Amino acid sequence: MENVQRHGYDVVVIGAGGAGLRAAIEARLAGARTAIISKSLFGKAHTVMAEGGAAAAMGNVNSNDSWQVHFRDTMRGGKFLNNVRMAQLHAQEAPERIWELESYGALFDRTPDGKISQRNFGGHEYPRLAHVGDRTGLELIRTLQQKIVSLQQEDFAGSGSYDSRLRVFDETTITDLLVTDGAVAGAFGYVRQTGELIRFEAPAVVLATGGIGRSYRVTSNSWEYTGDGHALALRAGGQLINMEFLQFHPTGMVWPPSVRGILVTESVRGDGGVLTNSEGRRFMFDYIPEVFRDYYAQAPEEADRWYTDPDNHGRPPELLPRDEVARAINAEVKAGRGTPAGGVYLDVSSRLSAEVIRRKLPSMYHQFRELADVDITKQPMEVGPTCHYVMGGVEVDAETTATASVFGLFAAGEVTGGMHGANRLGGNSLSDLLVFGKRAGEHAAAHAAAAARSPVADADLATAAETALVPLERSGGENPYALQQELQSVMGNLVGIIRRGSELAEALEKLAELRERVAKVGAPGGRAYNPAWHLALDLRHMLVVSECTARAALQREESRGGHTREDFPAMNPAWRQVNLVCSVPGDHAEVRVTRQPVPAMPPDLAALFQPDELAKYLTPEELKDPTDAH
Amino acid sequence: MEERITLQVARYRPEQESKPTFEEYEVPLREEWAVLDGLNYVKDRLDGTLSYRWSCRMGICGSCGMTVNGEPVLTCAAFLSDFAPGPVRVEPLRNFPVIRDLVIEMTDFVHKLGRVKPWIVADDEAPPEGAHGEYLQTPEELEEYHQYSMCINCMLCYSACPVYGLDQSFVGPAAIALAQRYNMDSRDAGNALRMAELSGHDGVWGCTFVGECTSACPKGVDPAGAIQRYKVTAATEAAKSLLLPRAAEK
Repeated sequence: MENVQRHGYDVVVIGAGGAGLRAAIEARLAGARTAIISKSLFGKAHTVMAEGGAAAAMGNVNSNDSWQVHFRDTMRGGKFLNNVRMAQLHAQEAPERIWELESYGALFDRTPDGKISQRNFGGHEYPRLAHVGDRTGLELIRTLQQKIVSLQQEDFAGSGSYDSRLRVFDETTITDLLVTDGAVAGAFGYVRQTGELIRFEAPAVVLATGGIGRSYRVTSNSWEYTGDGHALALRAGGQLINMEFLQFHPTGMVWPPSVRGILVTESVRGDGGVLTNSEGRRFMFDYIPEVFRDYYAQAPEEADRWYTDPDNHGRPPELLPRDEVARAINAEVKAGRGTPAGGVYLDVSSRLSAEVIRRKLPSMYHQFRELADVDITKQPMEVGPTCHYVMGGVEVDAETTATASVFGLFAAGEVTGGMHGANRLGGNSLSDLLVFGKRAGEHAAAHAAAAARSPVADADLATAAETALVPLERSGGENPYALQQELQSVMGNLVGIIRRGSELAEALEKLAELRERVAKVGAPGGRAYNPAWHLALDLRHMLVVSECTARAALQREESRGGHTREDFPAMNPAWRQVNLVCSVPGDHAEVRVTRQPVPAMPPDLAALFQPDELAKYLTPEELKDPTDAH
Repeated sequence: MEERITLQVARYRPEQESKPTFEEYEVPLREEWAVLDGLNYVKDRLDGTLSYRWSCRMGICGSCGMTVNGEPVLTCAAFLSDFAPGPVRVEPLRNFPVIRDLVIEMTDFVHKLGRVKPWIVADDEAPPEGAHGEYLQTPEELEEYHQYSMCINCMLCYSACPVYGLDQSFVGPAAIALAQRYNMDSRDAGNALRMAELSGHDGVWGCTFVGECTSACPKGVDPAGAIQRYKVTAATEAAKSLLLPRAAEK
């Protein structure tokens, strides 16, 4: 058989973004020999692109803030579909994770009296996002990367080897998990630079692979985001929940075409930016949904006063949760009130001085000047929705991040489902990956210390190697780039922001056809750093994950958060009680979708809401006895 | 007919050639296309085996640095139209070993990172004074080192640095700027720890202040300024250590 590099660890973390690095740090601190597998270069992961900040109820800017308020905002943003325990742990532990990050060396913008500053963001009642300008993700990744370097230095002092207890395998991609009798035995993949195959043996694996956005053409996501962890979990026997919920960030760049989809941070709105249509109207006032009416301003005058006196005025509707704003922009453009390039205007130039804009939004200022030749201190930006984040993902236990169906498999960050319900609030993902990354590392290390190691089955290795190599050996196969573009059109056109039953059914037919064709994909060239080969393997993941989204979207006959059905436009409390669960029963089987009740909210958490607010989300039966709600 | 421009792209496939060669590709010349868009066009439509690194498309990940018409640039932020009518010569970053095509070997930098101790060295005698272990740091104190924190590890400064080109043991611009980012951080007490590395044989004194690093930096970090500033610190410290014994004799 083909030569395969072999490595043994206690904990293998797949993914080197914020969640993966935080998990690896914790596992190493707990004493586990830990490997980090990074699809791109160490330190370049997708987290680096996060701009706005990390949400944590530290109360530095408004002392009324607390974990309870953060929890409440998160549930509202998620349309009450969230895993309540995850949302609670997240709100409770986020401040501690931020202070800890500071002790590692992170810098944050400061209040005049020296505390970590916090900014306003969509759906957050108080200023809550710890940030540094509009490049918070870069600082977070850099800090975690440097923390890892510092741990490696300690290990060097003790053992004479930097890699003895914590090693980064960068530009390495995992193509299959190795599972023996329902327990994790390791992971299998290839090294980008050489094309060598590689196997890791470990009793605990943490998935931290991020999202799935590259299945869409207009996306803020970079090439790595092909749903690897989602697909690995499915094939290993794990379950995905909430896959119908995708976040289309309302403000991506729409022009020029080559940068379409690149993110324009929500901080632009948080710091005072307003959305207008081609008629100059601040249209968001026309789109405040009933459930949020009490918290938002009804007219521009009131909204403008909120910036200086938030306690006595409603919030500007530009700061509604992302799903609401994305749908509103979509509707304006559809009604013929869009910009020439098919977006709407986002203007900060008439609201803040040039000096303040350059200081508070330096990356945006440069991004527009360099990429679009637009000076945002003088002109409005043109923006529109872009595929940004997947709320759905691997079903995990809130406390331990362990999956129920694969012994030894853990997951953290965007690859998981449940935390954000039907829609994620901005700022909740950087805090999510710190809170649950830490938990994943801690529990994976404990698991590795206690569990027996499962042997890797030779047959599984042989199958994994064959699957990985077959596109290289197939001459005259389909071109992977062409297939990816077709997949992107299917998903963008038929499983996009606004969905219809007939189109979703059509999407499923097309995905089935594409699946046949992806099985025949070919990649010319050798094994060393061959991007066509890499994409050919990524496509396998993208297909199965896209199928999950389309199937779940067809089943969920209501509109909620990041799932909008034109044929079922209302939110339906009966559907709030249902999680759609995706699994793949056999090796080549279709995705199966089953229904599972959403666990009820414990009374102490339910008590944080006014009864008339709960009435907007829950069924009459649930309201009668919230402890017995299923 | 759409306007086109020629890319002359360095190819190096060690299994078939002993040294890099150039291949020419015609790509559309669109006003808003960056050099990276041109390379993606080549990979997607003309030759799927072309190897290069890229990720975010927005100048923050620091993956897509290459040499374009002789200058180190981020290819996502260098526009084809600025090189019209062409041809545009695209090569790997200089001063690094080439793995394949436009992909360079840069693990040397990762090792250098550790040497300058880029983390907060806590001051045991002055713990954080805020609640919950939070440090208090004023916006003015932040401003002191903020510029040096903008680095995206893109390696353009190493590619531009003539000293590093001659002697790879030189710690180099980005790592020194990063050390200064911590040295000047009011929360940090690691100045003395970093001194051996920074003022040692491979440290700041290797720099001949050509300033190419600062010109190449896409983020305005000004590594040359950081190095000059540290030379002053190092010289002052050295002078102090000469003076101290005499002062002690008094």
